[in-house]
Amino acid sequence: MNGVQLYFRLIHISLLSRMQYQANFIVGILGLLFWNVINLGLIGVLVTQFTSLKDWTLWEVVFLYSLWIFGYSLYGVFFSHTSELENYLIEGTFDQFLLRPASPLIQLLGREFQLNELANVFIGLTGISLAYTRLDLHWDGWKWGFFIASVVSGGIIVLAINLLIACTGFWTGRSRGTSFIVSQFYYLVQQYPIDIFGMGFRLIVTGLLPVAFMNYYPALFLLDKVNHASPSWWLSYISPLVAFLLVGIVSVVWQLALIRYSSSGS
Amino acid sequence: MKLFWAFARQNFHAIATYRFDFWLRASSIVILMYGIRWLWITLYTESPGAFGVSMQQMVTYGVLSMAINNLFFTGPPYYMAHQVRTGAIDLDLLKPLDFHLHMLARSTGEMLFRVLVLALPGMLVGYFLFDLQLPANARSGFLFVVALLLGYLVNFHLDYLLGLLAFVSIEIHSIDWVLHATSRFFSGQFLPLWLFPGLLGTLANLLPFRGTIFVPLSIYTGVLQGGAAAHAVWFQLFWLVTLFGISRWLWGQIQVRIISQGG
Repeated sequence: MNGVQLYFRLIHISLLSRMQYQANFIVGILGLLFWNVINLGLIGVLVTQFTSLKDWTLWEVVFLYSLWIFGYSLYGVFFSHTSELENYLIEGTFDQFLLRPASPLIQLLGREFQLNELANVFIGLTGISLAYTRLDLHWDGWKWGFFIASVVSGGIIVLAINLLIACTGFWTGRSRGTSFIVSQFYYLVQQYPIDIFGMGFRLIVTGLLPVAFMNYYPALFLLDKVNHASPSWWLSYISPLVAFLLVGIVSVVWQLALIRYSSSGS
Repeated sequence: MKLFWAFARQNFHAIATYRFDFWLRASSIVILMYGIRWLWITLYTESPGAFGVSMQQMVTYGVLSMAINNLFFTGPPYYMAHQVRTGAIDLDLLKPLDFHLHMLARSTGEMLFRVLVLALPGMLVGYFLFDLQLPANARSGFLFVVALLLGYLVNFHLDYLLGLLAFVSIEIHSIDWVLHATSRFFSGQFLPLWLFPGLLGTLANLLPFRGTIFVPLSIYTGVLQGGAAAHAVWFQLFWLVTLFGISRWLWGQIQVRIISQGG
């Protein structure tokens, strides 16, 4: 059985166990929907009352938010349990992954499938469709292709960053703290165009934690907001490249982490 | 009263052992202060004096909100849900302090701890790094403290009522999400309520959430002064008494029906 087949087999098993708790599933979806509606409501009131946020109008901000959540939802549905790696390491569950005759990474990735997170897919799709109509956009084939590539890159970027953070657990034992702090950056980038913030923040979310490539930079291109006079115009086009680079970094760090691993013994 | 403080002190010390948790919260406060300050500076550079408020007032409102909103949402609902689920709730009922007061004591201990390690340092950081201004005048400063305390109590009762639902439904996470999200919207934590248009504004003005964060912040920044400030404090008192009444009544209903599961 190859890696891909194994992955889907694992997902299938996890799905079967999930569906044992249908009420939890429905309530979880409704909760996520409500949460997003409230967030969009807050930013909607803000941008409407001030007519624009810098030069971003209401529907452009909705697009920004939705593009982020759409990319994130791919991570959320398939991989959000990777943040549990810390617990696997502390409790010694990780030993199981090493004992079975399959790649530990595939086993980790295929361990669960979060149906609740489909709510985010829905929010992302709805937000983007509404914004597309309201902004009267007409993308050609290339732009559609770039849009899909951006969404997929978004999912990969957030997966890579979160895996890297989770991997620090191999060295320090704990990683939840770092991911909590990083999530504050996620939150700000998701909601606001980063050009409203100072240079320091923009450098962090572009270079160190490249989450701005999930929504801000591709949105500049998709919404025809790229300023070609600015020296950083090319950033709008490289989200897939950033995702690709991050995957490279993660695979190296993961190998190092496996070498480093010693069981907690419990 | 002595018992009340004994329980409050106990939880104060219990919370103080989670040093890691403190650093997480502290760093996220700083990041959010940074973000919110830029947001308001951007908006007010483009439309100075919008909604009759100055940029300084608006930045102070936003930054202060990030420093103090950790005082709200202390643990009671999850503590209660946990005790009900494990059956350990019968031990709480045996304690020589009224259950409602016991929960308030626990929460107060945690709140005071957060005042010391998060809110006050947060305000200092805000003052030195993020343009947080001092209160408009001494009277505003004093009234702010009163309103903050009342806001805490109003929020505690909303939380406590949520916790009481644990006796009925056991699973409160999803209801908690809804309550938190609603409060996020209507409490003024992120957006001051004067930004809300029409019907939304009317609704925001009636709901108890206004009494939690919005009133103290508006008093601090001097947006609410004199008669309007006094009126806002009466609004908080009204909701506090109402929620207190509902809590007592609901507890009376629940108490006679408790069947502890094993323990």
